[in-house]
Amino acid sequence: MKLFGIVFVIALFGFGVVMMRIEINRSGRTISQLQNEVEVKEARNQYLQLEISRLSSPENITRLAQEKLGMVPAKPHEIVVLEDK
Amino acid sequence: MFKKPANSPFVFNVKSRMRVAGMIILLAPLVIFGRLFYMQTFLYEEFSSKAERAIYNYLAEDRLRGKILDINGRELAESVRTHSCGVNKRYVQDKSKTVAFLAETLGMGKKQILTKWNRSGNFFFIAKKIKPDKYIKISQILRTRLGQGLELTPEYERIHPYGNSALDIVGASNSKNYGLSGIEQMYNRELSQDISKKRAKRARRGEIIYDRKLKEELSVANVYLTIDAVAQFYAENALKKAVEDVGGVEHAIAVVQETKTGKILAAASYPVKDGQSLAFQFTYEPGSTFKTIAISSALDAGVVRVTDSIDMDGRKWEIARGVVVHDNQHKKDFLSIPEIMQLSSNIGAGKIALELGAKNLFYYIKGFGFGTKTDINFNGESKGNLPHFSKWTKVDTATKGYGYGVAVTPIQLINAYSAVANGGILMQPHIVDRIEYAGGKVEKKSKPVKIRRVIKQETSDVMKKVLQSVVEVGSGKRAQITGYQVAGKTGTAEKLSKEGGYAKRSHVASFCGFAPVSDPQFTVLVVLDNPGKYSFGGTAAAPVFKEIMERMLAMKGVAPDQLDF
Repeated sequence: MKLFGIVFVIALFGFGVVMMRIEINRSGRTISQLQNEVEVKEARNQYLQLEISRLSSPENITRLAQEKLGMVPAKPHEIVVLEDK
Repeated sequence: MFKKPANSPFVFNVKSRMRVAGMIILLAPLVIFGRLFYMQTFLYEEFSSKAERAIYNYLAEDRLRGKILDINGRELAESVRTHSCGVNKRYVQDKSKTVAFLAETLGMGKKQILTKWNRSGNFFFIAKKIKPDKYIKISQILRTRLGQGLELTPEYERIHPYGNSALDIVGASNSKNYGLSGIEQMYNRELSQDISKKRAKRARRGEIIYDRKLKEELSVANVYLTIDAVAQFYAENALKKAVEDVGGVEHAIAVVQETKTGKILAAASYPVKDGQSLAFQFTYEPGSTFKTIAISSALDAGVVRVTDSIDMDGRKWEIARGVVVHDNQHKKDFLSIPEIMQLSSNIGAGKIALELGAKNLFYYIKGFGFGTKTDINFNGESKGNLPHFSKWTKVDTATKGYGYGVAVTPIQLINAYSAVANGGILMQPHIVDRIEYAGGKVEKKSKPVKIRRVIKQETSDVMKKVLQSVVEVGSGKRAQITGYQVAGKTGTAEKLSKEGGYAKRSHVASFCGFAPVSDPQFTVLVVLDNPGKYSFGGTAAAPVFKEIMERMLAMKGVAPDQLDF
């Protein structure tokens, strides 16, 4: 009876260790996949930020304003500056 | 050795056995403790470095270089992480499958890959700077049979979202994150980071365990310039148009400075080469724009008054035997100081320089900052050329009055003009506004710093009026801006000829001025080296000045100071 008890405890411990290993491996894979995803998203985000910078460059905006909207730069005296009084 | 007690035959056995057993039991921990002691004392370094390698990973190679931004936070240069894909032929298991995979993933032809494969040795790069989605596809198969022999090497790409804009100031850095020129080189330490101190915990398979603190620690400093990307665009655009219109220009420079603070808002160069800003590196004889310096000095020293009239000697003045200066642009026998500036009379400026004397003129010129590098100390910045007055002849003193025999940089000249506009106070020019370190620490670099008072407030007031008259009725009429009082001076300097002396058909045309005169906000300098169509400062450079100044006044919403327009 005593021997059976010892064997049972050892088996239980062994089972626990195996389960833990499986869980560790599974979590490891998940972490790895998530890290990959984060990396891709961060890289894409960076490229999109760059695209925003490119598109909002003064040269680009000036060109679009002139070509698409027919705008011309205002002369400084044509601008009325409202001052806080 | 052992005494056997007479009354107990078992005592010896039990006690001595216990002793022996105890000693055996103690021996094992003793050996262990001994070993531990040895390891802790003598093998400490070996084991601690092993532990260090096992737990920590140095992330120096995994960092991105800091950004270079304009004063409003617009990115002028930033880094992205890319990868290069290489093939180690020896380890490839199935050549045809690997080639097919690479062709599909990288969007290349199989033939193209095979040509590279056959031409190169054991290792070759199949593609550089690959996009993140392609990188991920390849990284996913690296540990499979298909991926054996493939290698991904991290690289850094420096991107300039605004193209070539301000590239001459920003400079270049290489794929190893090292600054090679311009601001990239000057602030390389801040933009990159200390390699040895950054470490991260590593998981069992070598993955890096990030935590928030570490990410903050890894983000390197960003450098904010005083350059305003919009002003820079205006300056570059105006310069580009001028170069196309005038033709034949070898070099061209346009600089915009905030008059009161010394901040450089734009510094455009033609041709554009990374890290080679002509605003700091170009030296030239300024010609008539330098008359402002000589005449301000003479007025300040009190050797002439603004109401004085100078004899033109029949517009043909012999400074010394054989050295004659002509004024062909007017027919007057006497000129007042404002007229000397309006008509850009070399005779008048030369005579005034002689009146001031070599020593005084030298120290005034020095005081304005010529002959010395600015504290910006931009890569390759020139200090110009200002020989000591003890070496000047009478002719040298007179010619310096109208800008010959002295070489200046655009940054020196614009800063001197700002001093004239700024009540006579020379300000420290700035190109870097601030550095923002990781964790939010900000180092302000562009606080207005007064270097010295160069001329009196009254002299500055007089000179502003004189320079205003140059634009209103003199050689700088093309710089007039509706609604604003503009002050400035044209310059047309003959270039030194390779054969000796001055070349009659090769000029440097320039214009330097500020506006609005009632409260100067911006100083703008335009220099065109060897313009083809128009060779005069008033015709070639003044319109460029006008265009840039107009845009600056509009952009910053500066109210007009001329009521009747």
